[in-house]
Amino acid sequence: MANRLGTIARDLGRMLEALAGLILVSVLIPLVWQEWWVVPGMILSGLLPLLVGFGLSRAFQNADDPGRLHGMMIAASGWFFVAVFGSLPFLLIAWTARLDPSVLEIPARFTTGGTRTFSTLAAFQNPLNGFFESMSGFTGTGLTMTDNEAALPHTLQWWRSFIEWVGGVGVIVLTTAILARPGSGSLTLYESEARSEKIHPSIVSTVRTIWWIFLLFTFFSILLLWLAGMPMWDAINHAMTGLATGGFSITDNSIGTYNSVAIDFALIPIMILGSIAFPIHYLILRGDLRNLYRDLQTRWVFIFFGLGTLILTALLFDQRFYQTETMTVAGIVLHGRAATLFQTFRFAIFQFISAASCTGFQTAGSLGPGWSAPAQLTVAFGMIVGAAAGSTVGGIKLIRLLTLGKGILFRIRGVFYPSTAVRTFRLDDRTLSDDEAAQEFEEAAIITFLWILFLGVAAFVFMIALPMGPEGYTLENVLFEVASAQGNVGLSSGITGPGMPAVTKAMFLFNMWIGRLEIIPVLVLLRSLFVSMGVYD
Amino acid sequence: MRLEQIPVIGPLLEAGADDSVFDALLILGPIVISIITFLGRTLPSVLLAVAYTGGFLSYIAYKGVAETTESST
Repeated sequence: MANRLGTIARDLGRMLEALAGLILVSVLIPLVWQEWWVVPGMILSGLLPLLVGFGLSRAFQNADDPGRLHGMMIAASGWFFVAVFGSLPFLLIAWTARLDPSVLEIPARFTTGGTRTFSTLAAFQNPLNGFFESMSGFTGTGLTMTDNEAALPHTLQWWRSFIEWVGGVGVIVLTTAILARPGSGSLTLYESEARSEKIHPSIVSTVRTIWWIFLLFTFFSILLLWLAGMPMWDAINHAMTGLATGGFSITDNSIGTYNSVAIDFALIPIMILGSIAFPIHYLILRGDLRNLYRDLQTRWVFIFFGLGTLILTALLFDQRFYQTETMTVAGIVLHGRAATLFQTFRFAIFQFISAASCTGFQTAGSLGPGWSAPAQLTVAFGMIVGAAAGSTVGGIKLIRLLTLGKGILFRIRGVFYPSTAVRTFRLDDRTLSDDEAAQEFEEAAIITFLWILFLGVAAFVFMIALPMGPEGYTLENVLFEVASAQGNVGLSSGITGPGMPAVTKAMFLFNMWIGRLEIIPVLVLLRSLFVSMGVYD
Repeated sequence: MRLEQIPVIGPLLEAGADDSVFDALLILGPIVISIITFLGRTLPSVLLAVAYTGGFLSYIAYKGVAETTESST
């Protein structure tokens, strides 16, 4: 038992050291923006995880390599504590403004009560709100406790984007890339963070390649958004959160703030890049473009995004939600139905891809109570399914639904064959034996079942805790919001905010946590905790 | 000193796609972004951004065509 705890504590310590590095590197931002008053809070936020992490990793440096059980417990506890310590910048900066020491010369807008700027930052004086924001960021969810993101200090705007960017690839992937520990322990941890793809035989090389691809795409995305018309600071933040399919914005109305066709359409390929598995990106960068249609998951990402967009466009067009008299696109003037159709398509493609890629950016005039229930449920379905495993997206993942669909057909067809017939199951160019196929079905079915089970549990809690009915929220509002949290999407039907009851914040913290790690590691950790406390045998 | 020996960037470049153009784009990325931030939205900065993004996309397309041609012969 002691040895097991040592293994967990050592690796947890390493993750906290990596987190401390992220916070301390971010001190550059207040220096650039001359937000001197946040510097003490940021340094203290970095020193705390550094001390705890250093202490743990040194005290247990000779602990064994993690096995599968340890790996899952480290991943689950690591993500939890990284989110806890990652909330320190929110908490300490908010309390710096509250205490307002005169030596720091804090701008009056952060210390004068009664304004939105003040209340936005003041919300993080509540540690639960900071923890929520941090968990939402690291898991790439994008639901927020802020009232007006544009009013936050630049340092916190950056911290929100930075943790989504890192969380999109994974905290363990980052730690492995930095610490470069050889051996089977890194692989075990890597697989516990909802990743299984390998680009190279060595896991350290694999994670470094993932970062190489991610950095290259980030620079490309920043410049693409800038060319589309975004200011550079906005482009940097939105490129990071868009590519990581996280969805935090630095503006009050997300991407709708810009009301720009060019920016909408520039973000679409960025969100799609985040929805494709890293090994496919690697092959494409090596010139093998055929993987865009040959790889089963990638092919279905495009099919799924295309079908969802068509259905959503049809539903919204039928509803005449985006009735437009005239509009100009790339110098071409559209009138009447053509203008309405283009406007509807513009919002439908952005919103469906934002949902299915689990990004969570929102555009103007959409997703409010004005959308019909079928339209909202179409988007909710996209959020639940997600895109490719091995990318930065959340949700159940397309490959699991494809496995289940093909598996069901395989079983039904099996009835028509004699019992002695030898049949093989093909999935994504792999030929599986009966045992292998059964294992794939089982894994896909368990995750899908647990996903829907916890969706139901959270919806039940919300329906008890929130006002429902004509004066409150509808069932589809609740299902939409819960699917958004658990799928790590971040689209909101208006429920999430600093004023929501604490029990619903706690429920969403749990949903975001299990959604990012694909449930099993969290359940393993909780079972181990309950067993060690004698609650469960 | 070889490129691979540079701290932080070196191990990353080594893990890349073994392609000097992509490695150059990776190194130039932050430099281009810094220059554009300094210049603001001017004609030279727009041309610089177009050159970077256009170069990135064109090179992927070029590699795709080269790979297809090579595998079909």
